[in-house]
Amino acid sequence: MSAVISEKKSRNNLVVSYLTVGGIIILAMMVFGVLMLLAQGGSLNLSPAAFYQFLTIHGTGMVGAAALAAAGVMWYFLSKYVELSKKIAQVNLALFLIGVVMVIIGVFSFEYASAWTFLYPLPAISANAWGVTGALLYLFGMLILGIGFLLFYLDTGRAIIKKYGSLAKGLGWDVISGKKAEKDAPSSTIVASTMVTIVNITALTAGAIVLIMNIINVINPAFTFDPLLAKNLTFAFGHIFANSIIYMAVIAVYEILSKYTNRPWKANKPFLIAWTMSTAFTLVIYTHHMLMDSVMPKWMLIMGQVLSYANGLPVLVITAYGALMIVYKSGIKWDMGSGLIFLSMFGWVVGVVPAIVDATIVVNHVMHNTKWVPGHFHMYMALGACAMIFGFMYYLAKEDSNVEEQIFDKIAFLGYTLGILGLSGSFLVSGALSTPRRWATHFPEWMAPANFGAAAGVLTALSLTMFVVHFIRYLSNRNKVEMSPESKKLA
Amino acid sequence: MVQMVASIVSLFFMSVITAIFVFVAAKSQERREYKPIKKKWYKARTFYGVTLVIAMLVVTIYTLRELPYDQPVYGAETEPTIVDVEAVQFGWIMSETEFSVGEPIEFHVTSSDVTHGFGIYDKDKNLLAQTQAMPEYTNEVYITFDKPGTYEILCLEYCGLAHHAMIGKIEVK
Ligand code: HEM
Ligand SMILES: [Cu+2]
Ligand SMILES: [Cu+2]
Repeated sequence: MSAVISEKKSRNNLVVSYLTVGGIIILAMMVFGVLMLLAQGGSLNLSPAAFYQFLTIHGTGMVGAAALAAAGVMWYFLSKYVELSKKIAQVNLALFLIGVVMVIIGVFSFEYASAWTFLYPLPAISANAWGVTGALLYLFGMLILGIGFLLFYLDTGRAIIKKYGSLAKGLGWDVISGKKAEKDAPSSTIVASTMVTIVNITALTAGAIVLIMNIINVINPAFTFDPLLAKNLTFAFGHIFANSIIYMAVIAVYEILSKYTNRPWKANKPFLIAWTMSTAFTLVIYTHHMLMDSVMPKWMLIMGQVLSYANGLPVLVITAYGALMIVYKSGIKWDMGSGLIFLSMFGWVVGVVPAIVDATIVVNHVMHNTKWVPGHFHMYMALGACAMIFGFMYYLAKEDSNVEEQIFDKIAFLGYTLGILGLSGSFLVSGALSTPRRWATHFPEWMAPANFGAAAGVLTALSLTMFVVHFIRYLSNRNKVEMSPESKKLA
Repeated sequence: MVQMVASIVSLFFMSVITAIFVFVAAKSQERREYKPIKKKWYKARTFYGVTLVIAMLVVTIYTLRELPYDQPVYGAETEPTIVDVEAVQFGWIMSETEFSVGEPIEFHVTSSDVTHGFGIYDKDKNLLAQTQAMPEYTNEVYITFDKPGTYEILCLEYCGLAHHAMIGKIEVK
């Protein structure tokens, strides 16, 4: 084997570990999602303690696992342009696993259930539902996991600066200002990676601060903090980190669609401006989580609405539009990879609609913290970000082995699409009926959509099982075949 | 009802988006040169982008005219009824729970332990208004009930294991 190929193989090994861990956790977490819906629908008798533990593990696990897998996607493509440290990526994975184990022990052995937002001072004041040990296991677990990601982004930032000079240049500001020609603009992968590096270093710093505040308060409740400040930090962390998942995973869309269609997807000026807008907006629009805090400065809340609208523009006008244009009359060959990637753009864009609607203050007044909210983010996360990740997994399997896609995979594609649409649709209907989110039980008039959602969830989980089976077949096959230096199967 | 408008608007735009994606997927198997496609659709994009920005501006201005944060302008003779609300794990302590139709009410909402959500529901379980109940801070909600009946206060921020059981009642005559 030549050095290039073995290098590529070991790089792929790392990415494959990220995806395997991510994919399996996502699948496992779906089971908890279905159980929650069955409980809300009155079909399953679950104690409130168990329900809220499931809620906590589902939220934490899904966001963490999707972020890990998406980081793997970003690492895969980014490492073709800049020199990333494999060590640090391994350390991140190790810290992730340690953090996950601590979180699981905290939640299931010590009954810790603050939801993944651990809103201060809930970790310390649980009305005796959990104790100090559970809270500390969870909070330290999250801190360790966060430090892993922080190292990961410090490394991507370092590598981008080394190659391009600065993060500003990574975003293509010298092209926007006209100092550099459009044809010399950084690639879309670099631009997206730079954006994610910037926003996630910010998010993880905010997250670390609020985690430490909570830890101090749990250890010694005499130390208290400003709850409004803590809330701002919590949502700055949660909003940015959860949103970064799609901005990492979308790299797969740029790379894979241009490869499949044989059409270039170059970063031009509007593209660069759109990503700079996304960078800025993602950092500040977390205030739309606080629209129901009238003690916040009013201008901040109005900006929360205005900028949340504006944040839809980059995807609606540039990225989604670009994806449609590149596919239109391209003669693209549809397979699981390209199909899931195209589906993911659809998922992202349809998910943006109810999100923007909910960011309207007058609407938020009657929809905030109803199931409308999980309605839009399950579209965006499961049909958007996760479909990008799964599409990438099929793409990698094709590039890196000779496992064939089967009819089951196609059925699973359909099942996944309908499953998530049904699930998110049921959440949206619940939200329109004013059903609160995060309720262990529902009143009878709210039960039907929950039961429907549970059925859709089962379909989703079964479909994802097929995706994972394909990926496992790839894992066992890839070690048997020699790799071709550059795959030609896609052209 | 706001929820109804929000749902219809969402459903409409989601359907349009679905139609566009289905259309492009249906047209994906023809093969044409990319340059002319790009030229044509970049032009269309300018139009589309500008339309979208204008539409967003209009909706922004329209929806920001009246905000739930704004204290209503009361008539010369009317004094609002001020109700102090304190949330505790897991119940609502309210200084007053009986009101009459047409009476302007201000709920001043706080919490003595963790963050809760103060959501006012009518008897058909529609959410009418809400605010966060936070320790150390007092958020305000303004409401005037126009129908008599029993209304419920449900907790809208996860606050612990009895979050879903934290239900208060108010009577409007
Ligand atoms: C079969 C698929 C899934 C099902 C059945 C499911 C179900 C649920 C349910 C029932 C809830 C709680 C809703 C409530 O507040 O009452 C929830 C919350 C959530 N889900 Fe899922 N889900 C699924 C997939 C996903 C995926 C793929 C992701 C992200 C990658 C995700 C992320 C989340 C998050 C972040 C929350 C919020 C947790 C919280 O409120 O603290 N879910 N899900
Ligand atoms: Cu409460
Ligand atoms: Cu509550």
